[in-house]
Amino acid sequence: MKILSIDTSCDETAAAVTEGTKVLSNVIWSQASAHAKFGGVMPSLAKRMHEERIGWVIEKAIKNAGLKIESLDAIAVTVGPGLSIALGVGVDEAKKLAIKYGKKLIAVNHLEGHILSPLANSKNPASDITCPALGLVVSGGNTLLIKINKIGSYEVLAQTTDDALGEALDKGARVLGLGYPGGAILEKFARGGNLKAYKLPIPIVGQEERKMFTYSGLKTAFLRLVEYEKPLTKEKIIDLASCFQDVAFTHLIRITSFVILDSKFHFHSLFTGGGVSANLELRKRLRKLGKNTEIKVLFPYSKRLTGDNAAMIGVAAYFKALRGEFIEAGKIDRNPSAKITD
Amino acid sequence: MRIIKDGKMAVGSAVRVLKSGGLVIYPTETLYGIGVDATNPKAIKKLTEYKDRPLGKPYSVAVADQKMAEEYVELNSVAKNLYREFLPGPLTVISKGKHKLAKGVESEDGTLGIRIPDYVLTIEIIKKLGKPITATSANASYKKRPYTVTDILNNISGKQRKLIDLIIDAGDLPHNEPSTVIDTTLDDPVTLRQGEIKLANKNELLSRSEENTQNSAKEIWQKYEQHSGKRAIIFALQGEMGTGKTIFTKGLARAMGITELVTSPTFTLENEYITGKEKLFHFDAWRLEKSEELRNLGFKNLIKDKSVVSVEWAEKVSDTIHEFDDEAIIIWVKIEFGKRQNERRIAWGVTQ
Repeated sequence: MKILSIDTSCDETAAAVTEGTKVLSNVIWSQASAHAKFGGVMPSLAKRMHEERIGWVIEKAIKNAGLKIESLDAIAVTVGPGLSIALGVGVDEAKKLAIKYGKKLIAVNHLEGHILSPLANSKNPASDITCPALGLVVSGGNTLLIKINKIGSYEVLAQTTDDALGEALDKGARVLGLGYPGGAILEKFARGGNLKAYKLPIPIVGQEERKMFTYSGLKTAFLRLVEYEKPLTKEKIIDLASCFQDVAFTHLIRITSFVILDSKFHFHSLFTGGGVSANLELRKRLRKLGKNTEIKVLFPYSKRLTGDNAAMIGVAAYFKALRGEFIEAGKIDRNPSAKITD
Repeated sequence: MRIIKDGKMAVGSAVRVLKSGGLVIYPTETLYGIGVDATNPKAIKKLTEYKDRPLGKPYSVAVADQKMAEEYVELNSVAKNLYREFLPGPLTVISKGKHKLAKGVESEDGTLGIRIPDYVLTIEIIKKLGKPITATSANASYKKRPYTVTDILNNISGKQRKLIDLIIDAGDLPHNEPSTVIDTTLDDPVTLRQGEIKLANKNELLSRSEENTQNSAKEIWQKYEQHSGKRAIIFALQGEMGTGKTIFTKGLARAMGITELVTSPTFTLENEYITGKEKLFHFDAWRLEKSEELRNLGFKNLIKDKSVVSVEWAEKVSDTIHEFDDEAIIIWVKIEFGKRQNERRIAWGVTQ
């Protein structure tokens, strides 16, 4: 089944063509660099920008897949969560194309896209997902740990109560005077630093039973530390970046680990998606966690599948299509505060 | 198309081609880049044709040094710090442009990304040309990252090949990641309009904890709750990062009887929380570049619908908020760090 997918949930204008879980094309029009994915730059007049780009992006996605729109089986689109006016552009375009070409329409939750993104281009997706499994979304807008009862049925186990992980990293970089978003550059510097140079508080350490992520306290502590350490040199920046990223990840791993050990279920795999899942240090720590808890940890096959993209929407749409979950063009609508449990 | 080896001889040839509006593929410490004279509109048009990408997508440029950069952009303190510590190197710094380059190089907002490649030959070329050259990667959009000349030639069409005038071949480049892009324009000083905000009353509280901050929000809400549903109520929150603007909004939501989880809207720009009949709209203006952008987010309709709205970084959009002085009750809340670690000074008042 060949599906054209569209995602305009926030900053990026994205379209992709997938066949089953195979990615045939994945086009992302980003104002920011393709490598600063989990922050993104807010285009002025978001709606107009999406409107201007969407036609080109869709055309390119179909062309890169070597297909014609007539030969596609369905059109999928992100309905939420995201920025309302931005979502509207994608939804309207999908609706228009579905009517014009007589295609079936599939409404997809952006977070489900991130969770299922490791299945893209996977050789045996059916066996990759023995349920219950865990899903972890780490991005600029979300930090969410969920239980996958089966594909299409999810429960929230832990989520952020203030800042998302990607947002915290971006803000940490900003505190260091590295601009915004700076999560990607923070990662670069954090490779060479001394983790013992500074001591920062691990959020809710010892209270992991609260099963939540929180980064606002760490952010404020970091702000004070950096003020104290000014003027900053390159060496200080590198050590500070390393320590900040280290503590931010330690918190994520501690909570995830607690949830795993506390659960009465044995989870077979952990699906990780979202912009921050491109961070190699985070991948290393999650793999180690997986080894210790006998959980297979899966990531998207390419960096282009970690940030906001439409190929992951195509993967999620494929499973919805298998379940016959299509929607009439007259009934589809954006849902800015959509939940993964909807 | 001519291919020459990396070396002293290449500088003169490259400069000649660039001067006549031609396309040069050159090595950097990251990838092969494709350069044209960034001040020449015809050359930029040719480059856009080569890259096969939509109009309106900006190009970053490479300069020889900070001095050259300052001819084309305004460097704020964040940018200056980055130039001092990290350039030349794999970093592209976005600043406010001075609109001196060909159309289509700067972004629609007039910002420009600049890098200084850590590659002697390329710097020599730019120095001799005396102008910035484009610093986009030499692949056509959405194709393989070019670390060798073969990577480029194997992935382009015959038509694209014809557009290239000169290739400087430096062999297989070390497989470094492409340069990281940092936007410094969001750190430009916010035009504070505090002086213009005439408050009918001014109140001050001292918060000693997050719980305290949440309770302050509740106290303030209870004073204005009676207007809920009759007029829009805007909480315009000001305060540096980490002062607790999201915490304040959590307290507001709780006081309103909203049980949904309140989180930072920095990334999504807007969150909506609904519990039963109660609705709260939560904005974050930090990433907005212009005050009018708040209007594009549907702000006007929310005021018309007599909604309750909380806006973080309200100082960035104070102009737009002020437009609703008559229609809405606007409560300006300023949160500042106190003397002790968990202390915050909260000052608030309504527009006259």
